[in-house]
Amino acid sequence: MPLWLYILTAITGCTALVALRLYYILPIFTHNKARSIIRRKGKGARLPAKKILCVVLGSGGHTAEMTRLLQGVDFDRYNQRLYIVGDTDHLSMDQIGGTLEGSRDPLTEDYIVCRVPRSRAVGQSWWTSVLTAVHCFVCVCRHMYLNTPDVVLCNGPGNCVVVGVVAWVPRVLGIKRIPVVYIESFARVWSLSLSGKIMYLLADRFIVQWPGLVQNYPRAEYIPNLV
Amino acid sequence: MLAYVTVGSTGFDQLIGAISTPAFLRALSSRGFRRLVVQYGSSSKSFNPPSRVPETLGLSIEHFDYTRWPQQYVDNADLIISHAGTGSILEALHAGKPTIVVPNHDLMDAHQAEIAEELAHGGYLLVTEAELLHRVVEEGGFAGLAPYPHADPRLIGEILDEETI
Repeated sequence: MPLWLYILTAITGCTALVALRLYYILPIFTHNKARSIIRRKGKGARLPAKKILCVVLGSGGHTAEMTRLLQGVDFDRYNQRLYIVGDTDHLSMDQIGGTLEGSRDPLTEDYIVCRVPRSRAVGQSWWTSVLTAVHCFVCVCRHMYLNTPDVVLCNGPGNCVVVGVVAWVPRVLGIKRIPVVYIESFARVWSLSLSGKIMYLLADRFIVQWPGLVQNYPRAEYIPNLV
Repeated sequence: MLAYVTVGSTGFDQLIGAISTPAFLRALSSRGFRRLVVQYGSSSKSFNPPSRVPETLGLSIEHFDYTRWPQQYVDNADLIISHAGTGSILEALHAGKPTIVVPNHDLMDAHQAEIAEELAHGGYLLVTEAELLHRVVEEGGFAGLAPYPHADPRLIGEILDEETI
């Protein structure tokens, strides 16, 4: 058998295995089963202490919404936060030191800020945006390997797609399940953002803030008055 | 009574132009407003209220491009006239202030208008166009708006807890 046939067989085999694995674990295929199990376990179960929460911050509007959303998260339980911020986003950097962490109890103040290159600048060409996305992917991988989070919370900036994909790597390999919770922006009433459409495939919980979105995206959970 | 006009981090020429007209200032005055605070962002050129009219109406006008403390104006306002930015709208509604929103149709982001329309549908705010703003103020419909429900993000915490059990 010629060498190329070996290589082709190996590639096909690997692709098939990964595809099979994804079929078994991607929420888009498994959501009904998976969610009912989580719900049952969630009732009355004692919460194990201390988790690392990964928060993805992006441009102004998303960060403002995330600030409001994090008011509902108990930093005593998620006692370490891993913020992933675009390196051009100085406003979000200010927010972390100010409203996100500064106003909280200093005893629970334990967080790491990871600056990653922006995955895609506005108006960037298709070809260079692939390169910057790969660069961003590598940086996120490094940060998430050093401080492996227990859960990812994100709400729409472009970086969250990269973080979402990275969070899936250990699950595909069967090492660790890092659940991804996505909250679509309050500004999206009838249609999902581009990030939202991609994260709909990846997120374990997909939250929308307007009822009209549930009709087209049945896996989405509608929760009003979050922000 | 204080009316606060805000265009957020960019500018909005049509809105700032509309609140500079004698018709608008007269409408404000007729509703009992004595103070007008204008945050015009990058639209300073459009801000040109007639020099005499405010005095004869007994209306004092403060203006600036940006402020680091917008909350003080939001808290003290009896009416907020805002662009359709999500952040500005939520700030106004959570402060429990009567709000009139003017969407900027020049923006590429059509979703701004959507959320304003949807909230207007719920009776929480009024949506109008810059040219009609003085009429809407004159009619005084902003006084009878529904209070916006308080934000409760605790469910996000619960969802995270469910996922990390």
